[in-house]
Amino acid sequence: MQQRLDRLVELASRGLARRTSRRGLLGAFGMILTGSALMPLLPVSRGARAEAAEPAAAPGTAAKPPSKAASDPNSCEYWKYCAIDGFLCSCCGGTSSSCPPGTQPSPITWIGTCHNPVDGRDYIVSYNDCCGKTSCGSCLCNRNEGEKPMYRLSLNNDVNWCMANDNPNYHCSVSVILGVASK
Amino acid sequence: MRLKWPGAFCALLMAVAGTAMAGATPPPLPAEHLSVEKLPPPSPHWAYLFDFSFNNETDERVYLYDGDKGRMLGQFEVGYYPNFAISPDHKTTAIATTYWSRGGHGTRTDVLEFEDNQSLTLRGELLLPSKKAQSGAVGEFNVAYSADGHFLYVTNLTPAATFSIVDVAKNAVVGEIDTDACIMVMPSAQRRVSSLCENGRLLTVTHDESGKETSRSVSKPFFNVDRDPIFATSVRTPTGAMHVSFLGDVYEIDLSGAEPRFVEPWPLLGAKERGHWRPGGQQVVAYHAKSGRLYVAMHVGGEGSHKQGGTQIWVFDAKTHRRIARWPVDAAKHGGAFALLATQDDHPLLFAATENSALLVMDAMTGKLLHVEAKLGQTLWSMMNP
Repeated sequence: MQQRLDRLVELASRGLARRTSRRGLLGAFGMILTGSALMPLLPVSRGARAEAAEPAAAPGTAAKPPSKAASDPNSCEYWKYCAIDGFLCSCCGGTSSSCPPGTQPSPITWIGTCHNPVDGRDYIVSYNDCCGKTSCGSCLCNRNEGEKPMYRLSLNNDVNWCMANDNPNYHCSVSVILGVASK
Repeated sequence: MRLKWPGAFCALLMAVAGTAMAGATPPPLPAEHLSVEKLPPPSPHWAYLFDFSFNNETDERVYLYDGDKGRMLGQFEVGYYPNFAISPDHKTTAIATTYWSRGGHGTRTDVLEFEDNQSLTLRGELLLPSKKAQSGAVGEFNVAYSADGHFLYVTNLTPAATFSIVDVAKNAVVGEIDTDACIMVMPSAQRRVSSLCENGRLLTVTHDESGKETSRSVSKPFFNVDRDPIFATSVRTPTGAMHVSFLGDVYEIDLSGAEPRFVEPWPLLGAKERGHWRPGGQQVVAYHAKSGRLYVAMHVGGEGSHKQGGTQIWVFDAKTHRRIARWPVDAAKHGGAFALLATQDDHPLLFAATENSALLVMDAMTGKLLHVEAKLGQTLWSMMNP
């Protein structure tokens, strides 16, 4: 288990180191720790937006009136779900940031950056899977802003992020705000 | 006129008699005998269709489908997040998968199951370490046989990346190779296995007959992961594999030599179309080796649309790099083409699974639509054939 944890930390660190400046790295770690205080996360960086060849939207631009769907946690178009792949926990007994009763959050995850059209800010979000029960089956979404194939594991939403759970059965996915993305 | 009356009278009699017969109770149907179908000899137009069964992922399936007859022939149960490969002699499908002792909970068992492709029954199994990769990117190289069928390679992910080496004859895991975060198993001659790395390099590990690593090498980066990554799913070629990138460049890897050779990439699109039309889906490309035809599911979209199914299938001559055809897909009716598979015979079929879990069967030379299954299974995901 320790070996596994070491490997996870290494994965996270290497991913972060590649994609961020030193200042950004500290900032990102700060946010990870903030998130960790709330939930036992061991996130793998998913800061794709910063280095994506084609930004989906310019961060920090003036806020636009959000569509109804972009404000609805039960909609695939909800702003926090910009790279979510799976069933929305908000349709399965949880919320956009909590797992349904009787499930377990994945201890490993990845981090993305999503643009909130309400306040015009970019937020770092942690995509966790909720595990231990079979597929929820409701509100299937697949968005892929900044997503990369599975050989770039830290930016991939194809793999089952419940893989390190005692019961790696995938149930649904959440998107948890860790903080405002530093520019 | 008088001569015609006897004929008319006869016709009237026959009509009356026919009406009476039609009204009679037909004889009862014969008794039936319950039996079990046996598969006919294999056809090159059969395909193995993987249904991810999103709503009940612990119960995923592979359907055997006859593209000529347009019908399902049978089914394997393939558990949870399976990866599978067909043996070089085509007789066996090896499935690496996960089960729990009580449905979705209880004791986890990772297992390699060997299905007999002729009887569609389980021929044998081998317990695996509980670390088999669980990924939605189901392609040719998550599990793969060596060319001689002696070894099977199984991708592991915990998320530490390794692969297991299985000696098929011994029915035993004989080795595990740490791939240093590189992933997947692309076998080549001389007991070599190559894996894609997150920095755009290719790791190649050589092992001996006992499953122990004897050497490894890492290539220079051959694509840019950040600017234009290649899809993880690819097609097998006679000498290696062919990938396409998100923006539509073709990367061919020749694994037939002592070291991997990277063919100069070539574009599917001209400068005006690039970034507008894009490859997309899950099994984005298909390849017919004899003709050298490459089939790509294409759509109009932007960044992040790389899993969107194709509204067209573009056909290329992979030798001349010339685009031969653009075949429309009725995406409004069936969903976009999400997975492609070409049969490898002289009169090939092209199968296209769509986002609505429809299956389109086409003539791979002309694009003529031969058969449509409006809804096959629950969530058709990827396809394979020998």
